[in-house]
Amino acid sequence: MSQSAKRKVFLIVFLLPTFLFFCLFTLYPIGKGIQISFYDWSGGTKNMDFIGLDNYKQMFSDPIVGRAVGNDYFLVFGKVIGIMLLATFFAVAVTRLNVWGKNVYRVLFFIPNVISVVVIGVLWRYVYNPNLGFLNSFLSLFTEERVQTAWLGEPNTAMTSLLWPPIWAGIGFYMILLIAAILSIPKELYEAADLDGASQWRQFLSVTLPLMWEQMKVSVLHIVMTTLNGSFILVWIMTEGGPDNSTQVMGSYLYQMGFRQYHMGYAATIGVLILVLSLLTTMILQRVMKRDTIELA
Amino acid sequence: MKRKQTVTSGIATMLVLAMTACGGTNGATPNNGTPDPAPSVNEGTGNNGTNGTENQGLTGEFEIQYFVGGYGDSWWKEVLEGFQEANPELNITQTAGPNINEQTRPRWIQGDTPDVVYIDGAGSNERQMIDDGQLMDITDFLAEMENADGEKLTDILISQPTAYDGDRNYTLPLVFGSWGLFYDKAFFNENDWTAPTNWSEFIDTSEQVKASGISALIHTGVYPYYINGGLVDSAIVAANGGDGSILTQQANLEEGSFSGPAVQKALGQVVELVDKGLIDPGAVSLNHTDSQIQWLQHRAAFIPSGLWLENEMSKDIPDGFEFGFIPSVAQDAGENNIVIPYTNTIAIAENAKNPEAAKAFLQYAFTEANAVRWAELTGALMNVKADLSNTSASEVVKEAMEFFNSDTTTVAPVAVLNADVEKAKQDATIALATGRITAEEWMQRLEAAAAKARN
Repeated sequence: MSQSAKRKVFLIVFLLPTFLFFCLFTLYPIGKGIQISFYDWSGGTKNMDFIGLDNYKQMFSDPIVGRAVGNDYFLVFGKVIGIMLLATFFAVAVTRLNVWGKNVYRVLFFIPNVISVVVIGVLWRYVYNPNLGFLNSFLSLFTEERVQTAWLGEPNTAMTSLLWPPIWAGIGFYMILLIAAILSIPKELYEAADLDGASQWRQFLSVTLPLMWEQMKVSVLHIVMTTLNGSFILVWIMTEGGPDNSTQVMGSYLYQMGFRQYHMGYAATIGVLILVLSLLTTMILQRVMKRDTIELA
Repeated sequence: MKRKQTVTSGIATMLVLAMTACGGTNGATPNNGTPDPAPSVNEGTGNNGTNGTENQGLTGEFEIQYFVGGYGDSWWKEVLEGFQEANPELNITQTAGPNINEQTRPRWIQGDTPDVVYIDGAGSNERQMIDDGQLMDITDFLAEMENADGEKLTDILISQPTAYDGDRNYTLPLVFGSWGLFYDKAFFNENDWTAPTNWSEFIDTSEQVKASGISALIHTGVYPYYINGGLVDSAIVAANGGDGSILTQQANLEEGSFSGPAVQKALGQVVELVDKGLIDPGAVSLNHTDSQIQWLQHRAAFIPSGLWLENEMSKDIPDGFEFGFIPSVAQDAGENNIVIPYTNTIAIAENAKNPEAAKAFLQYAFTEANAVRWAELTGALMNVKADLSNTSASEVVKEAMEFFNSDTTTVAPVAVLNADVEKAKQDATIALATGRITAEEWMQRLEAAAAKARN
């Protein structure tokens, strides 16, 4: 066997199984999902009626879908800003600033990552519990009357209340990612900046930020993707999309329609919407966040 | 975190899928791996063999699917053990668990179903199963059916099977229970509050409770069907002069059935509670565990729920707590109590492989002795008339039984709403109970949902 043929066989041995798994577990379900979205199907029987674009027409005139998309993007923006600001701040603090007990903070912030999302949801339900919860008890220390706000039950507070648990839980992971990026920046650059009289803030803006931009970009994209696809879990555990659909996100509405109201075809249509919006958002973000690559000479 | 979890769960999913794929060839009998022999049954009722042995009973495979929730599984195990002893040649497979409805869904889609299914728990809906053609029409069988003690089924049932498509039966109610309001008798005595028997007494007591600094009514806001079952539906029937047929009209999606004067009056009563501040402000965000725990801790006086409540919370009931049950409070003075029943049904699958065994099981299960065991083991009522007075059934169940047998109680029919209309009703009720919509908007929403479901 020639050298190039050997090389090809070698590559195929590695690539083919992965490709087959990718087709089976990613491409096939996506294709099947798109196919189901053209049918009227309850999800509990063999009978499926082809109805063309009717599910799509219904989706575009469904006010709850509009609200769900809005809520999803509220979570996307809230999480990106909240997590990135805090994760960057803590990453810089434990690497560049002389903070006491650096390693303790790393461990502390990372703890939520080893807790199951379900446990996080239940935990925060207790925090927000109107009568027994920590938050109202804490706030009641400062008021004469007991605070009885139903944080997850009032439309103007419910979505904001759903934002804090994923921010709390997400900081640690992205902080570790950014710490790794900062530690890979050569010390000499900071020494040179010091000699030139650059303040910590200037050093952050001109050295740290540009050199960890790639990791920040990856972090932002990852937060966006996981939120659009995964915000369902926390929402379902904490509010089930209620009250009166005010905290519905696309994932929870998909589940509600498919498994509670037996419109699996319509649920698949919402799934296609999630796919399209995720792709579009990622593409737009890729463009917006494009910077010239800065290479370390 | 997310990446880590994604990778782990991805690997787990692949493994599960791979295993499912491997097991696909014998998916028909996932619990024993042997293919189904042709179902057969010895029809004989007495000695049918020349060898002089007793009737060997049914043979072949028999699979039963049951949801394990608040009622546990001890009754099922006990009854199936008895059924097995009666039919030693029958190979019984129990497919059960708290998530069984989701787990067996692929099999139902493929038409490879268990023979008998107990319909209960999340992900199950008998109306949808009937619409999907999954359940066998057992109208004629039920009409003629005699149980193992030789009693005619229709004579011993508390609630008759629900009629679909006019007069067809696909399900047989196994569990019978009632929605209603619960309170702690001991707590009420301590505070000199009286248990209400009509609406004005309910308002009076609630005002007294509120004046003492705790909430009058707490409910399960995340699942508004609790307040619908325990308060709104009985109020609608009471306002309809005690005529429960209005609920059947709603289940049949009849135009105007969600916006008549009776509905308007009932919703007005909910609005009165909101206006007087008698509903716990936090209730909207509570699930059933949260609301029930807070009620047990005396943070509210009344809670709407079903008869399973005592059994469900048995581990958390404080010492000295005495369960009290009122089926309805919305009626005017001197009018009948209204019982809004709920049932959980059992059915034979359209694609049952051993329908004879399935029918025989129903005959075996629906006896008074099994009804007594159900009450003792689950704390709830089986849908068979039985004398519970000397049994170890809970006091609240016995108290409910007294209501069912009383002359001053009207039992409404069981009505199962279409899933879309049910969801619209829950959304509208929680919005009404938090003062965000008016009674008129509630009625508009429901009429619109019913109109959409009719098409």
